[in-house]
Amino acid sequence: MSIILAIDTSTSRTSVALVAGGKVLFTKFHEDPLAHGEVLPKLVKEALAVNKDIDLVAVGMGPGPFTGLRVGIAFAQSFALGLNINWAGVCSLDAMAAGINQSEFIVSTDARRKERFWAKYENGKRVSEPAVSKASELEKLGIPIFNEGDYFPDPIALANLALSTKSVEQPIYIRKPDAYPLPAGVKFRVMTALDLVVATAIEKEVYGKAAWSGAQFKEEFAKAPKDAYYLAAEAQGELIAYAGIFYVADVADIHTITVVEKYRRKGVGRELLKRLIDWARVKKADAIMLEMRLGNDAARPLYEQNGFVEVSKRENYYGPGLTAVVMRKELK
Amino acid sequence: MALVLGIETSCDETAVGIVKDRKLLANVISSSVEQHARFGGVVPEVASRAHLEAMQQVIKQALKDASVTLKDIDAIAVTAGPGLIGALLVGVSSASGLAMALDKPLYGVNHLSAHIAVDRLDNDAKMQPSIALLVSGGHSSILQVNNLATDVIVKGATIDDAAGEAFDKIARIMGLGFPGGPVIDKAASFGNKDAILFPRGLTQSADLEAHRYDFSFSGLKTAVSRYLQQTPSYLKADVAASFQEAVVDVLLSKSIAVCKDSGIDNLVIAGGVAANSRLRELAKQRCEVAKIALRIPPAGLCTDNGAMVAALGSLAINEGVKPSQTGLSADSAAPIAQVIW
Ligand SMILES: [Zn+2]
Repeated sequence: MSIILAIDTSTSRTSVALVAGGKVLFTKFHEDPLAHGEVLPKLVKEALAVNKDIDLVAVGMGPGPFTGLRVGIAFAQSFALGLNINWAGVCSLDAMAAGINQSEFIVSTDARRKERFWAKYENGKRVSEPAVSKASELEKLGIPIFNEGDYFPDPIALANLALSTKSVEQPIYIRKPDAYPLPAGVKFRVMTALDLVVATAIEKEVYGKAAWSGAQFKEEFAKAPKDAYYLAAEAQGELIAYAGIFYVADVADIHTITVVEKYRRKGVGRELLKRLIDWARVKKADAIMLEMRLGNDAARPLYEQNGFVEVSKRENYYGPGLTAVVMRKELK
Repeated sequence: MALVLGIETSCDETAVGIVKDRKLLANVISSSVEQHARFGGVVPEVASRAHLEAMQQVIKQALKDASVTLKDIDAIAVTAGPGLIGALLVGVSSASGLAMALDKPLYGVNHLSAHIAVDRLDNDAKMQPSIALLVSGGHSSILQVNNLATDVIVKGATIDDAAGEAFDKIARIMGLGFPGGPVIDKAASFGNKDAILFPRGLTQSADLEAHRYDFSFSGLKTAVSRYLQQTPSYLKADVAASFQEAVVDVLLSKSIAVCKDSGIDNLVIAGGVAANSRLRELAKQRCEVAKIALRIPPAGLCTDNGAMVAALGSLAINEGVKPSQTGLSADSAAPIAQVIW
């Protein structure tokens, strides 16, 4: 009969249980949203005093506030490694919903910033992916909501789910890291023909004679949509930057990353480049190439930081005396 | 001859090292620095996610490199501070999970002291008491180390930015990339260190009274950015070399002053900035002149790593220091005098 050590740190509560064949050997929790790191080892120590022949570690993978959530996962994974046993991840909301007998309901936990992590259940089964929403939006759905505070992920249910469901291998973060040092109000979207009037004006200002015409843009847009990707950035409803990449025969080619003067050195070009690289990765391109005007020092460090290296120079590429530097980044 | 596994996650490196007393057996580092480069600084949430993602693999690789199994490990050491709290907690939680499963003692150690402890590895030099110049992205201080595990006294510290921060900032202004230390070091190698005379902070006699062993780099940063604005045709290599010279000059003159004043003729230079080639070169010259025995760990062990954490753990065991209690907490602002907790 296998003994399961179950851990959840996805809410303000740190919970630990020891379960063997449906029998609960130990269960305890501690309430403190900032002390998961200190509390968890103490609770596990108590559990091990009851029985230390653990066969499987079950851990709540969230969603939940990131720092506390990672405490449980990091501990569980290393504990399993130390004992040379397996660990299994469970969606924490599922372990919270397990004790609720309703035909249709939502469970929700505190996501801070006046938001809730939540998922919807019908007859005991989860019918939506875990998500994060404003509390007021959730109430509008008109479905009974079971909130953190009255309910918590139950470590005993978590142990049972670890046996009956497929392991969740990655933490359920939902939110992206707050890591975009971009000017307030900058938004990214796909570039369309409606942007061309403004874009061609920006082209003339930035590139002079080497500027693209509207027709050249249209030609690019007309290519198979799955092979080309054009992005626009806008602030206060105005186009401030755009970028395009084209994929053919295993190599993706960045055609342009253009930012208006006022918005340079603010992370906009960086973000556009990152998105183009991500797109090329999804396309499974072997490499990305780009041409840069020689002496374009402002952009060069950005490309180099992102792993582009100079492979050759093309004389007079942009017109008489305008040399292009060809750079390449390997993706394989 | 304890076999110690050390875990380091205070910033952007997920690192695990294994040492047997003073012998380095494994030193595995997975860095998220590339993910931070586009922000010009470390993003805590990005770093913490990367730590959790890399941890299991890094531990396994270190065991493989050291040709040992977890069953052989006598103790676990982990950086418990200072550092980014979310990042530290991934390391501390992994370490306590591991220690508890193995039923082995856990040592929560100070990241800064660990930078100095790495000097123990693979040599049998006796270096106590010594003066330690600790220079990294987050710290610049001069310490009197009577016993690294139990008795460390702060002699001087930065009153504004750390040396490493100054490198990052100047590199960013000049568009050289991130992290600043290595890129400035490289750029400076093509430049003239005497091209521009940048100010040496807190070296005037008026400052020396109140801040004899302290550092200040904010005036230098201002001077460099003003120079860049006023000199549109500046040579990057010369600016980098002259800036670097100003930093290195102050670091060394103050460290040597502490050695002389305290009568301790051992100097250890540790921390990420100790990898700087000009600092290493000038330290050698000046210590020779001042008749001070100098030790600087190999450049590869100066930046954040797990071996230094394991080295401090093994030192703690040798010194009979008690292991940490169950429920060891991370302390993002741990003072340097708190070595093990
Ligand atoms: Zn460090």
